[in-house]
Amino acid sequence: MAVIEWIRFLAGAFLLLFGLVIFAIEMVGVFRFKYVLNRMHAAAMGDTLGIGFSLVGLILMSGWNFTSLKLFLVVVFLWFSSPASSHLISRLEVTTDEAPEKHYRVMDLKELEEKLHRDKQQETSEETLCRDDRKGEA
Amino acid sequence: MGRGVPGLEQAYHGLFVIALIFLAVMVVLCLIRAIIGPRVADRIVAVNMMGTMVMVIIGILALMLEEGYLVDICLIYAMISFLAVIVLTKVYMGVYLEKKEEERKNGGD
Repeated sequence: MAVIEWIRFLAGAFLLLFGLVIFAIEMVGVFRFKYVLNRMHAAAMGDTLGIGFSLVGLILMSGWNFTSLKLFLVVVFLWFSSPASSHLISRLEVTTDEAPEKHYRVMDLKELEEKLHRDKQQETSEETLCRDDRKGEA
Repeated sequence: MGRGVPGLEQAYHGLFVIALIFLAVMVVLCLIRAIIGPRVADRIVAVNMMGTMVMVIIGILALMLEEGYLVDICLIYAMISFLAVIVLTKVYMGVYLEKKEEERKNGGD
């Protein structure tokens, strides 16, 4: 019995500490990225995965009872709410950005289609060029 | 936690204390990010991160003190932090757009 308890403790501790490591990685990303939306991305990803791992570890330690169910509900709620709040924050950032051309390029759909078409054409022409080269070598 | 097995209770206690100290340091770092963050989105994200870490802290405390009802507080904390993000973004965006509209009107005259 004691062995099973120890194994449960070790598994729970591993998951909890792994979640904390993910929080640390998230913090590195939040401090090292240069642009707000990059930082936000790191924060959102780290939050979701970190709380998932830590609370699953706590559920393992707690065992089969109502506390585990409530912890599971916290995880489920956070996994639904975190993308929604990230979306809202990114929309706020894009709306209130005074100089967007400094950070990213705005492109409408028509422009994008033209660019893709151009790239495709370029690719095919390069391919034919390569084939011609090979032919010449042969 | 881990009562009845020799050594396990101390192990649980040590693990929880280490995790709590680590999370406290993380929360302080989040606070620094919220203070230096040049844009409003940075600050809101930092507050959101702090909320997540406080949720883990509350979960650990619930297991450490063996008080199951603390997890209810964790659930409510998650909901309130989500609500705070929604309200802050909506209010800030509304204020910004209103200001823009005002400027546009004044510039047009």
